[in-house]
Amino acid sequence: MSRAITAEDASKLPGYGGGQKKNYLNAEKGVVSWLTTVDHKRIGIMYLFSTITMFIIAGCLALTLRLELLHPAQQSHFLTAMQYNQVFTLHGAMMVFLFIIPGIPGGLFNFILPLMIGAKDVAFPKLNLMSLYLYWIGAAFTISAILTTGLDTGWTFYVPYSSTVSPTAVIAVTFGVFILGFSSILTGLNFIVTIHKLRAPGITFYRLPLVLWSTYATSLIQVLATPVLAITLLLLIFERAFHIGIFDPRLGGDPVLYQHFFWFYSHPAVYIMILPGMGIISDLIAVHCHRRIFGYKAIAFSSVAIAMVGFLVWGHHMFTSGQSRLAATIFSFITFIVAVPSGIKVFNWTSTMWGGSISFRTPMLYAMSFLFLFTIGGLTGLFLGMLGLDLHMQDTYFVVAHFHYVMVGGTVIAFVGGMHHWWPKITGRLYNEKIGSLACIIVFVGFNMTFFTQFFLGSRGMPRRYYTYLDQFQPLHAFSTYGALVLGFGLFLALGNLLASLRAGGERAPKNPWGGLTLEWEAESPPITENFKRTPVVTHGPYDFPSTGPAHH
Amino acid sequence: MATTEPEALSPDFHVGHHWDKADTQFDAGRMGIWIFLVTEILFFGGLFCAFFIFQSWYFDSFVEAHNQLDWRLGGLNTIVLITSSLTMALAVRAAQTNDRKRTIQMLAITIACAAAFLVIKYTEYHHKIEEGLLPGANFTAVGFHSANPKVFFSIYFMMTGIHGLHVVIGMGLIMWILLRAAKGEFSSRYYAPVEGVGLYWHLVDLVWIYLFPLLYLVG
Amino acid sequence: MSDDHGSVSGGTPHPGDHAHGGPDHVPHVTPLPIYFKTFGALVFLTLLTIGVSRVNLGHATNLAIAIIIATTKAATVAAMFMHLYADHRFHTAIFASSLVFLLVFVSFTMFDTEFRGKFGAIDGTRVTNIQDPFNKIPPPAPSASAAPAAGAAEKK
Repeated sequence: MSRAITAEDASKLPGYGGGQKKNYLNAEKGVVSWLTTVDHKRIGIMYLFSTITMFIIAGCLALTLRLELLHPAQQSHFLTAMQYNQVFTLHGAMMVFLFIIPGIPGGLFNFILPLMIGAKDVAFPKLNLMSLYLYWIGAAFTISAILTTGLDTGWTFYVPYSSTVSPTAVIAVTFGVFILGFSSILTGLNFIVTIHKLRAPGITFYRLPLVLWSTYATSLIQVLATPVLAITLLLLIFERAFHIGIFDPRLGGDPVLYQHFFWFYSHPAVYIMILPGMGIISDLIAVHCHRRIFGYKAIAFSSVAIAMVGFLVWGHHMFTSGQSRLAATIFSFITFIVAVPSGIKVFNWTSTMWGGSISFRTPMLYAMSFLFLFTIGGLTGLFLGMLGLDLHMQDTYFVVAHFHYVMVGGTVIAFVGGMHHWWPKITGRLYNEKIGSLACIIVFVGFNMTFFTQFFLGSRGMPRRYYTYLDQFQPLHAFSTYGALVLGFGLFLALGNLLASLRAGGERAPKNPWGGLTLEWEAESPPITENFKRTPVVTHGPYDFPSTGPAHH
Repeated sequence: MATTEPEALSPDFHVGHHWDKADTQFDAGRMGIWIFLVTEILFFGGLFCAFFIFQSWYFDSFVEAHNQLDWRLGGLNTIVLITSSLTMALAVRAAQTNDRKRTIQMLAITIACAAAFLVIKYTEYHHKIEEGLLPGANFTAVGFHSANPKVFFSIYFMMTGIHGLHVVIGMGLIMWILLRAAKGEFSSRYYAPVEGVGLYWHLVDLVWIYLFPLLYLVG
Repeated sequence: MSDDHGSVSGGTPHPGDHAHGGPDHVPHVTPLPIYFKTFGALVFLTLLTIGVSRVNLGHATNLAIAIIIATTKAATVAAMFMHLYADHRFHTAIFASSLVFLLVFVSFTMFDTEFRGKFGAIDGTRVTNIQDPFNKIPPPAPSASAAPAAGAAEKK
């Protein structure tokens, strides 16, 4: 006897994503199974959850700052000067160390890397879990500062203030960051070995999705640069606790040496922040334009070039610190060189769009926002790389605007776009496209309102990290604050939209909603714990879309 | 020399579920350890950087200060560490050749050498503390003609102190491996942890190979 | 001490040549005499470096020799004890790359610390009038030159 096929029957059909089928989300139940898992997908989810929570907290700190800066008048202050210092320090430290650096690698890439290479897991699953635990421990130290005496040194912890005068929890926070460094190192180590050793048959290095070239370059930096941060913070802790004198001129030390040590890590760190975003954009544009990426090898090698050359430019953060003219000249020159690979990427992405069949879906809108915002951020970095100009712009809002353009307009935009792009794979659900697009536009408008204004503030002389200011800057500050509120609203809307897709009656996602050609789209949505039932064999490149325009290589 | 055959083990013995074969897992493990060693090199490298900078700035102070170090004890420590590297390598070799007894013996001697290193180090530190030759603001020794001997001792204590910490950690790791070897966990088919700890230990030796001449001899 | 010549894998080292048709790993074993010769070389180099340091050849030379000997010892430990000689070339590249970056770190930092104030003399001889950096304004008559020069110097 025949009967109509019900939804329940359909959910048992192979290839039907999510539903009642066994996948990594429902494979094992209970909090303990999550906290002791070695499944890279679950670890990725926990990273995402943690880092996004940190982003929200640090974002609220930023809104607090902007509200404080709405008016310079004495009676409108609701923070004391000391509190203001603590708010911007913690905003910076949390965003850098607790969100941006671990967020995309530990969160998103942990999830998709093994899927993209057809592996069952990363090379060292237990090390992956250890990396997450270290993140939580480091986060606990850093958050503890909020609950005790705070931190007011700026996220850069410059000596001599941090090693002598500051009455805040410097040692606790720097020790927390020290531990976070190990978390970062372990993630990078894991990814390098995974990409070398766990690729499925047929995936040569030149068939890797460009996301993974970026992941590889990011991991190289994590492994090479983070140990120097570790020794820097250790020396800072010893300086503060035991006055060993390495950074104290009264004892024969050199405070600028601290800056060298700190920026030797922190400049490559900004490439840890942006390279994952660039990798995501490559995939987003290729897939949503249904187009073979223009200049695959150029983009791949430029990722590695950015990573390598990025180690040679740290002194451009120190042009006004008193370093020698020779060093300043060398660093400025190489800074101009390091911009070239980024420029190559932007040209290649734009060329990929040309002649493509563009689907203006939410991930694509974020990708286009990225192109616009990152270009502005990158170009203004060149302004700051010029010695003569930097003399006037250093420690002004121009620098603040520049790095927010690259870190928020670049990395955060790419991260949100990537979350939308892979959301169906991770959760097996589809978000509401209209609200998603709307949120993207609100974010774009709010972001520009907030930070484009700050270029003007900076070039007119408004210093950064200042709790009050001259009256002439008030209109620009006010406009920036309103923009921040719009930006915050847009981001909450995006997040809310994604979370709403998880509700009971939400739309289920098929395996491959966007028509991508890389391996993760051949897994279930959401994937089973082992990712694939059989190790796949790959016979084509990652972006071998039937070309809609002139052939490119 | 005894060669014990491990009991019949399944082909998937000690191979993780995500690896296709034991060789890949083994190679991957070794690559991972080497990348970790890179991080250690960069970690110590920061201190070497500080050393070179301050030595260049305060050369006379550094010469006068380093004469307070006993190069004979330093040289002895160097020989001790080189010996421990040899015994560590021999321990790995014993594990590779299924010689469980030799593995345990060599690991034990390595730990003994490490302990000897720490004892000699302690003697040196004790002398320094007594003389007031301490880092930075804690420097209370007198009788120096040069301006900044305290900077030398800051560097000296940071470098040898962190190195010493790594020796202690190494002893712990080697003890862990020794206990596992005693339980018969290693064979020619699976000795990766022994080799991994061995590589870490050799790095500790490598750092000292540079520390000794730079701190004790140059000048 | 008996020597079994690493009989498990056969004599010649072949990096990466471990797959012998089965799922198991087959180790590459270094012969014992090589280990002992390495030890001997390291002890010799230690004594050498101590000996050379007692001879005063000038600071730069002593430092250079000390570093060269230390590097030789380090390379020996890395190649023999750490097995790099029989390992994948890639692992040697990993190790070497860390030293390259360390070199970059030390040398670029010393571009700063060694040359502080070194170019101050050049600045001192080429005072720029920021109101006329390209010398477009013709110099004033000599009688009035004292006041503007003082004014420009003050503004600087």
